[in-house]
Amino acid sequence: MTLLGKTVYHASRLGLAAVFIYAGVVKANDIVVFAGQIANYQILPYSWNYLVASILPYLELLCGILLLLNMRVRPAVLVLFVLNIIFMFALSSAIIRGFDIDCGCFKPDSANPTSPLAALWRDAGLLLLMIVAWFLRDLKHPVEAD
Amino acid sequence: MNSLSLSPSLRRILFEAIILCALSAAVGLSLNFKLIFNAFSGKSVSTPVIAASVVAEPAAENSVTADVFPVPVELDELDDLLSAGALLIDSRNSVDYQTNHLAGAISLPLGELDQDLENFKKEVSIDQTLVIYCSGYGCPDSFDLGARLISEGYTDVLIYEGGFPEWRDAGRPLAGGGK
Repeated sequence: MTLLGKTVYHASRLGLAAVFIYAGVVKANDIVVFAGQIANYQILPYSWNYLVASILPYLELLCGILLLLNMRVRPAVLVLFVLNIIFMFALSSAIIRGFDIDCGCFKPDSANPTSPLAALWRDAGLLLLMIVAWFLRDLKHPVEAD
Repeated sequence: MNSLSLSPSLRRILFEAIILCALSAAVGLSLNFKLIFNAFSGKSVSTPVIAASVVAEPAAENSVTADVFPVPVELDELDDLLSAGALLIDSRNSVDYQTNHLAGAISLPLGELDQDLENFKKEVSIDQTLVIYCSGYGCPDSFDLGARLISEGYTDVLIYEGGFPEWRDAGRPLAGGGK
């Protein structure tokens, strides 16, 4: 891989790691409030908001740590990619239904809430980073390719 | 079938991704099992302080919805109940009620029931549908108040277990002096 490719790969990996470690830590810090933010989307039954809020932060955190350590990058990216797609569906649904809610992406009680539309654009950017990390990891470690 | 089969490397990645999900679920569930248990089993958490035998007797004669205990209802059932004339009752303390409550709810704090009950019985007929709430799953006040009201002869007593937090988080209208 060229120096540029390596640089882009590591920048993508570390960028994703920073985002998801931060997101995981702040959400895990207050599960109840995060459950309330999931409930704002009015997609899941009430109890299921707590179940998702109890698991999701740790999944983000674990994937973020693996990306930071440059270990199991493609499985971690795959999980985050699927999560991101689900987030984007939820955000789109909130936009379509006209909900004026905080996206619940990071700090649960943030003084500066992020609108679903802004969050959707940010998720699109993260999706791009994931695609870059996935394919450049493939080049860097051909053994993971078929 | 061959075109649908995954390459060994992709299969390994998928397997590892599933392991990541399972690990995270194990960590999340073990760290928050009490919270999840409360959310999924509100009834068992909200054990009434009143003996079932006391509650059951008056309700048994002509009750349709009330059994031994008040019947739980979900948020999506509330709209129909409220439009059919159900009375929303806030069983939290009066300070919480004044700060914020579900729009249309009246206050009947469990802690002040002895002094408020006579007035309540004068104003609210015995066959009125009552929907009682408090501070969500794990909060026993609504259940205890429901049991008391059944013991007083109210026949249609329902508990909204999601309570104030679920209502607020769903963006439903609130009333009171709070933000």
